[in-house]
Amino acid sequence: MRRREFWVLVTPSVIVMFGFMLVPLYRTVRWSFQKVEYGAPGTSVGLSNYSGALTDPRLGRAVLFTLLLTLVVTAFCLVFGYILASLVNQLGRMRPVVLGLVLIPYVLPHVVGAVAFSWLFDTNFGGIVNFVVNGVTGGMLGEPLWFTSVWPNRLMIAANAVWFMLPFAMLMILAGLQGVSTETLEAAEIDGASPLQRHLHVIIPSIRGVLGFVLLIFTMDVLRIFDSLIALSPQAVSLGNESLMLYIYNVAFREGAVNLGLGSAISVLTILLILVLLYPSIRTLVREAKAA
Amino acid sequence: MRHSRLPRLHRPAQLMAVGLLATSLALTACGAGSRTGAATATKVACDFTNPASATTVNVLAYNSSAVDPYSNTMVSSCTHDNVTVKHDPIDFAGQVQKTTATLGGDTGTYDVIETYSFVVPDLASRGKLVALDDLFAKHQATYKLDAIDKSLRDAMSYKGKLYGLPMQTQVLTMVYRKDLFAKNNLTPPTTFAELRDDAKKLQDAGDMKYPIALPWSASSDISTAYKATLNSLGKNFVAEDGKTPNYSTPESTKAFEEMKSLLPYMDPQVTTFDQPKVQQQLYNGSAAIGIMFSGRMNDLVQQKNTKLFDQFAFAAPPAVEKGGKQYGALSVDGWSIPFNTKVDQDLLFQVIAASVSEDASKASIPAAFPARTGLDQSASPYAAAAEKAIAGAPPAEAEPWVPPLTSATTDIIGSVILGKTSVAEGTQQMQAAGEKVMATQK
Repeated sequence: MRRREFWVLVTPSVIVMFGFMLVPLYRTVRWSFQKVEYGAPGTSVGLSNYSGALTDPRLGRAVLFTLLLTLVVTAFCLVFGYILASLVNQLGRMRPVVLGLVLIPYVLPHVVGAVAFSWLFDTNFGGIVNFVVNGVTGGMLGEPLWFTSVWPNRLMIAANAVWFMLPFAMLMILAGLQGVSTETLEAAEIDGASPLQRHLHVIIPSIRGVLGFVLLIFTMDVLRIFDSLIALSPQAVSLGNESLMLYIYNVAFREGAVNLGLGSAISVLTILLILVLLYPSIRTLVREAKAA
Repeated sequence: MRHSRLPRLHRPAQLMAVGLLATSLALTACGAGSRTGAATATKVACDFTNPASATTVNVLAYNSSAVDPYSNTMVSSCTHDNVTVKHDPIDFAGQVQKTTATLGGDTGTYDVIETYSFVVPDLASRGKLVALDDLFAKHQATYKLDAIDKSLRDAMSYKGKLYGLPMQTQVLTMVYRKDLFAKNNLTPPTTFAELRDDAKKLQDAGDMKYPIALPWSASSDISTAYKATLNSLGKNFVAEDGKTPNYSTPESTKAFEEMKSLLPYMDPQVTTFDQPKVQQQLYNGSAAIGIMFSGRMNDLVQQKNTKLFDQFAFAAPPAVEKGGKQYGALSVDGWSIPFNTKVDQDLLFQVIAASVSEDASKASIPAAFPARTGLDQSASPYAAAAEKAIAGAPPAEAEPWVPPLTSATTDIIGSVILGKTSVAEGTQQMQAAGEKVMATQK
């Protein structure tokens, strides 16, 4: 490729990256050291936004809640995404139909899906979950306060995250399964490996890269969960079910004074946290890319 | 090395898969909304001087059955010649966010914004709105603006200057199930004690587990409820000296006690209920008494919304204590011109004046309670109750500190109602937060 062609092809991406990533990142970092109000130039406040953020117990609660949610949802989606992908992989002509159905939650806007999902638990809108579970268990569930009790609310939030993210995990893993060598599988079968052994010792090691990619994407996505909480957890702050992104939104835009400086400081801390959490995954992916 | 391959798709399966995804995407598109159709809106005269070049007027107004008639009339009547009026659908929370953003800098996105009496003093005191007095005087005769209720114009004024042209007013109004009240020989409550008695009788009769439905969402509406209770007991947020918050007064403590006394008669998740959820409770028949802003009342008598549409009656809300003011709140909605618009202000004023003209206001009944006087409201099932509620509502605290005080105390109020914070501790926390806010007021 000639140098000129290279720059013609690369320049648009560089402009987009600069405009939509680096400039906002620079503004966020700058604002994190300032007191900022809409339309007025910021005034420097040193590290006070950071000290304010780090001494606010809400930040600790939001970090814990978000990490717990990320752990549970990611683990669940990886395991069940793999199982679902393996089952779908066995399907013949029904595979596209099943894929189409399973992908519906993924293409719905999160907030729309979350509102509809909340109605399943809201007796004002039918509350079909209570109805069905009580019907099956003879009323063992009772009437849980899905929106005002801490753990029922957390369960509902996690279930919603799994509902809309599981299809992505399944789709990625299914793509990985397409690349597994049938010869190796046949060899393992001839050697007497059980189906479980074939999954554990042949298939999963073969798609390790795909699983790492899914882990990376899920860690980033669940850590940034925001819009579904608007519908699912109207009392997120008082329940301690406030995600990091919801906390930033509440501080920066909702709670009266519109504190963009403090919100920016929390955003910077969140970026650092995400980088720390993603470091092992990124390192593994880079190593595998180099090895390939 | 061989790799497993996807089997070839059969045509019916392919079609079904494409169909499913297309349906999903279509549903997604529905969720994204569309521009408000003004096709069926009332057409009124909007006779501005045609500008020399193409001019777009961007309008920011939340969608509700009470505000839509005015927005739609504005779009349908004033889009002609070189002027195009644009209004995109948005909810109330979105309007609040976009108002802050558009007023933030020297240039804004919107040329007309929907405002309400709660925010006008704050925005006007910061120079964010254009004073309308001269334009009002100039176009008063053409659009018969003197028929707009003077007290409502005052509610949209700050320091004697008009900053919003009132379109309609909303007042806390009570709705109750007349069939259940008749069956149990109940009368509409005039005090909180009577409200509790009525609710208890409905519970005891087995008609209703949670007879009272109030919008007490802990993240927003709870603050309106607390203010209405405090006002009913004769106190504002801030004392008459204009400096000292009233949160640690005996009336504030009493307000919390009275609010908490209603909890046994309300859904245990009431602190997540906004007005649409209260409407839903009434539609479903799972509540018998509700208190909401009047703009929500017309929905209750629509057959398409509920089979109980003919069982609702309306009254002014009760007072907290006998002889006190009503548990009331009056909110006036109107149109304002942002300070940073680049469009001719005379043109903009005529656009908003047309939308609140006599014909437009008539057409908004019964969905809205227009700000104009002298209109026949006999078609409105709740108008008489709303009029009584307006007459008995506590006077509005039209001060710029009300919004920041509300923001600073809402979570604490929610925490007290939820029982996570004691009343004594909550009132002290609110007093401290209030003093901090008042220290920043000029």
